[in-house]
Amino acid sequence: MITFQLNNSPVQVDIDPDTPLLWVVRDHFKLKGSKFGCGMGLCGACTMHVNGEAVRTCTMPISAVQGAAITSIEGLGTPDNLHPLQQAWVEYSVPQCGYCQSGQLMSASALLAKNPNPSDDDIEIAMNGNICRCGTYSKIKSAIKSVSKSVSKSEAMRTQGSMVGTFDPTNGNAISTEAGS
Amino acid sequence: MKKASMTRRLFLLSTGAAATGLIVGCSTAAAKGKGYSAIAGAFEPNSFIQITPDNKVIFYLPSSEMGQGILDGLTTLIAEELRVQPTAIDVRHASLHEDYKNPEMGMQATGGSNATRAQFLPLRQAAADTAAAIRNAAAKQLDQPLDKIVLADGQVMVEGKSYGFGDFVAVAALMPVPENSPLRSPKQFDQIGRERPRLDALSKSTGTAEFGIDAEVDNLYRAVVVRSPVLGATLQGFDASAALKRSGVVDVVKIKSGVAVVAQSYWQARQAAAVLELNWEKTELGSWSSDSIYNKFNETLNDSSQKGLECCDEGEGDKLLDQSATVVAADYYAPYLAHATMEPLNCTVEINGDACAIYLGTQNVQASAGAAVYYGDFDADKVKVHPAFLGGGFGRRGLGDDVAEAVLIAQKTGRNIQLVWSREDDMSNDFYRPAALVRMQAGVSEQGLIETWAVRRVGPNIMGYMLDEWVDALAPDYLNKGFVDWLSKLGRPIFNRFIADPSAGDGIYSDYDAPNKAVRHVTQDPGLRTGFWRSVGHSSNAFFKESFIDELAQSAGIDELDFRLANMKNNPRLTEATQLVAAKAGWGKTLPEGHFHGLATHSSFGSAVAQIAEVSIKGTQIIVHKVTAAIHCGMVVNPGIVRDQVEGGIIYGLTAALHGEITLVDGVIQQSNFHNYPMLRMADAPEVEVHIVESQEHPEGVGEPGLPPLAPAVANAVFKASGQRLRDLPLRLS
Repeated sequence: MITFQLNNSPVQVDIDPDTPLLWVVRDHFKLKGSKFGCGMGLCGACTMHVNGEAVRTCTMPISAVQGAAITSIEGLGTPDNLHPLQQAWVEYSVPQCGYCQSGQLMSASALLAKNPNPSDDDIEIAMNGNICRCGTYSKIKSAIKSVSKSVSKSEAMRTQGSMVGTFDPTNGNAISTEAGS
Repeated sequence: MKKASMTRRLFLLSTGAAATGLIVGCSTAAAKGKGYSAIAGAFEPNSFIQITPDNKVIFYLPSSEMGQGILDGLTTLIAEELRVQPTAIDVRHASLHEDYKNPEMGMQATGGSNATRAQFLPLRQAAADTAAAIRNAAAKQLDQPLDKIVLADGQVMVEGKSYGFGDFVAVAALMPVPENSPLRSPKQFDQIGRERPRLDALSKSTGTAEFGIDAEVDNLYRAVVVRSPVLGATLQGFDASAALKRSGVVDVVKIKSGVAVVAQSYWQARQAAAVLELNWEKTELGSWSSDSIYNKFNETLNDSSQKGLECCDEGEGDKLLDQSATVVAADYYAPYLAHATMEPLNCTVEINGDACAIYLGTQNVQASAGAAVYYGDFDADKVKVHPAFLGGGFGRRGLGDDVAEAVLIAQKTGRNIQLVWSREDDMSNDFYRPAALVRMQAGVSEQGLIETWAVRRVGPNIMGYMLDEWVDALAPDYLNKGFVDWLSKLGRPIFNRFIADPSAGDGIYSDYDAPNKAVRHVTQDPGLRTGFWRSVGHSSNAFFKESFIDELAQSAGIDELDFRLANMKNNPRLTEATQLVAAKAGWGKTLPEGHFHGLATHSSFGSAVAQIAEVSIKGTQIIVHKVTAAIHCGMVVNPGIVRDQVEGGIIYGLTAALHGEITLVDGVIQQSNFHNYPMLRMADAPEVEVHIVESQEHPEGVGEPGLPPLAPAVANAVFKASGQRLRDLPLRLS
């Protein structure tokens, strides 16, 4: 039995300890926002926060997160309660196909939490593990910079706990989400 | 046209659009009802729009959203004519129905950058007629003259009072729906042409947009398939005993393309698949490697006894080539490429008795449904497609191969399953952008005008492979399957021997004015299946054409911009785009030390794009600092999305230009994941600036036209920077 915090709720799971965190979150807890892209930690579509660090969860075995605090895109913000980066993502129309964007947002939010005013180089280093096949890089960079200019560190870190009360870890039900049109 | 009528008939019978259209025409029964489920009390004037009594406006999106922004674009068309805010419309992916066929393709599919062009009038008409119906109903219900009824911002305004659309749906439903209602004029547009955040940005920034891989149904098992290391080989036998002992594994079954492992979770299935033992027969492809393929292409290129097929023959063809003041010749090569969509292929299947529901993102809802009918033996009206967002398409999704596998697994196991391809499966089981080797030749006058343009091209075709997939999926279900399969295999010999594949000649001769043109294509195919890859033939042909144009200009001693403009007098759109990009990038201006400009111009999918790349080199490394682009695509629906698509094409094209190469050793694809098939990442992405030529002409394509000019623009700058004319892709300095 492995126990950890998922989007600020305590959860437990009895599963093959080698199973990557990504598949546990997607298929066991039914949180589908984090994506599978490569299975080798090369593309970043699966990025979540593990104790605040951006981690490629397609290669992180569930046994390694015992006792850890995990935040997935569902814990970063919701359509009704957006993280400042998500707000910027919408204002800048960052996504095209959108498949990589959960991972992009998790890498960007981990960066800003540590470094509220990153340089271009800081952004490129932090984001270089996230591939976007549609080519949204320049907009991602602009959106990150707009947030780094406009919010303080404490606001940038206002993420965890936003899902408390909507996620029931005991039955692993999906969060009810209204898909934006 | 010199071709005989017989050839024309053969052409009609065999080209992709015609053949599939013909078959689809027979297969589809007359449209029954609307394309959506009825909602009690709602006004349902057509298959695109539903308006409920509580004022909800629902739009059924007939095209697939794969990043290109068509959800936003087509919803904007509805909003414009219906007089509602685009953000107030509830957009849903349309399932399969006659009414959702792409008007140009005759098939419910998305590709060829044509959705805005093809739907620009029909969807506006549907919305305008709906708006007129609401006005008529309001006039009747309120007993007011029609000219007092005004629709604005989702409201019905009458004499200073406002009502919801829903107040009149009951009456509207009893009245005839008007036809040919007048459309708003471009001067009246307040939604079309306006820049605002794209409508799907919110769901895609919160992880709530549903992709195919996110589908969940009851009692869902996960499946993976182990396929032949050499594409297309037949399975001789397999040993599943070790795999079946793995935890969570419930079934191991043989299907058409390989062996499927079904387990409670994806991870369990994937782990068990690794211990399957399989024996594959040897195939012809197994005797080919990249070196031998290139050598065979080269041998064919130089074997003048192989005449090949005609793509273009204008004026005197190549007969007068030697009479020009300057004659230039050069050989160019482009490799096979994989699509590498971010979302690996997947398909979820739920079978209930004789009914089959499939969940996936697809560019071809019709072929996806058809694959379920063909491979699963379901009645056509028992298959329901639930389309989702696509995590990238680029021409890869919608061939039916994903559905065929998933349906066969579900049937053989009697379970609801989700099939998920790994990145490795995706990389080694693609329908690849075909490789090509070409000999470019041109005769140029003393005045710098191209007199003769001659191309001899060698490589595989695409259409035969596409027809092999589509005919199976789209044939009427009353036809004998053996006959359908035989029919589906006809495409390859026809395109190999009788008719030049349209993609072979795409864009390689059409932009410039040369009075004499001869383009011939010789099929040489090792048997690696090919497919439509973003911009299709243009993706390689623009590189050949635009690199060679620079060579012509330089041999004539004429500035590359001036040379192009002088030779595209009959190409006003491309001229405008070229002049705009030259002005914006400052062609000829002094650049930072070591930086050089390269220019390329190309028309595709109805639009014209010119690009200037600013490049420097460091050792053998090519650094692209900035790309300035101009596009002439007619009227624009959302300028932000046009710019994003051109930029996306540039980034996709730069990945291919600098890194893209699929290679084979003994028929086995050597690339497997992003470490050996690398993608451009943020740190290497150039600054991109996109300008749009102002136009009131009918809208044209934007999803693909941004890509073709990129590789030659970079190669032309690299030549200036290094003196090395790089004629092979990917671009590598020595």
